[in-house]
Amino acid sequence: MQHGGVGSLVKAAARGDATAWRALVDSFSSLIWSIARGYRLGSADAADVFQTVWLRLAEHLSRIENPDHVGAWLATTAKRESLRVARGGARTVPMDDAALADLAPSGEPSPEQAVLRAEQAELDAQLARRMWRILGEMSGRCQQLLRVLMATPPPSYAQVAAALDLPLGSIGPTRARCLQQLRIRLVSEVSGTGSPAHKDEGDQ
Amino acid sequence: MPEQGNDDELEQQLRELAARFDPVPPRLLDAAVDSYTWRTVDSDLAELVFDSQAEDQAALVRGGEHARLVSFAAGDLVIDLEITGGGQDRRIIGQLAPPQRAAVEIRQGSDVTGLDTDELGRFGGTLHTGPFSLRCRTGAEPDRTVVTDWIAL
Repeated sequence: MQHGGVGSLVKAAARGDATAWRALVDSFSSLIWSIARGYRLGSADAADVFQTVWLRLAEHLSRIENPDHVGAWLATTAKRESLRVARGGARTVPMDDAALADLAPSGEPSPEQAVLRAEQAELDAQLARRMWRILGEMSGRCQQLLRVLMATPPPSYAQVAAALDLPLGSIGPTRARCLQQLRIRLVSEVSGTGSPAHKDEGDQ
Repeated sequence: MPEQGNDDELEQQLRELAARFDPVPPRLLDAAVDSYTWRTVDSDLAELVFDSQAEDQAALVRGGEHARLVSFAAGDLVIDLEITGGGQDRRIIGQLAPPQRAAVEIRQGSDVTGLDTDELGRFGGTLHTGPFSLRCRTGAEPDRTVVTDWIAL
């Protein structure tokens, strides 16, 4: 992540530089969205959080104490707004199943040559769908942490800590444990009967 | 313990999954870019100092009959709001303290709705769901404008 650059983007945007603002949007939109999703908000609620956070930043540009840490500021704001929306009685949903439905099997197979490639693509798509589903079935804590880590570009641990109210030092070990849990589920499904039975429910 | 390299690889795979199955909707990216145009440079910011929805988890249910109470403060000026109603449209009743006449704008979506307070600093209006902010120009101090933090309904 472009440390040093971020603070100057904030200052430039505060002075009226719309290009700098756009760069901030490009840098942090995925993080904010990932945090709202990590708190298991549905599309409409996540959209409210996302928009509120950016509007909030626009008014706070010249008031942020530490512009270099705007990522953590945004993460904290996204967390607060997500909790606020969740407390408002909004529906919480598991990871978006609708997104899965949108993923059509790879395009119509054209002549023989393309068939192999299409088959490979279909296998990849199946694997991706399975992985996404398994992720949605993981424990709340792991699912939340992994969903935030899945932002593009990768968030810093300081941003993750701000987003989830976790001690900075716990992020690394928890990440390792959750990735391991995911790996075990993936392997047990693939090497098992092929049925979607879940063998491990373990989560500390 | 798994290798760090494997973990990074798996995390990167997950990142690609998120980009594929659950990307930021493009219309929201556009909205984020546009939110810059709401920036005010000549106003005091009235920060959110109380929100019953943040304070009390049990009492309020979205779409329920209870009112949501919200307060913003900028120096000595306080703006209290009571928000009622469910569904798409909400009713707000506002009160400026100290009481005074002011021109109030409700900023929401791409709309601005203007209204005036009475002599006791009271005003009322309607809102939809989604983020909104108020902008107040008070009569007491010449040309003082105050904008509230954005909050989502």
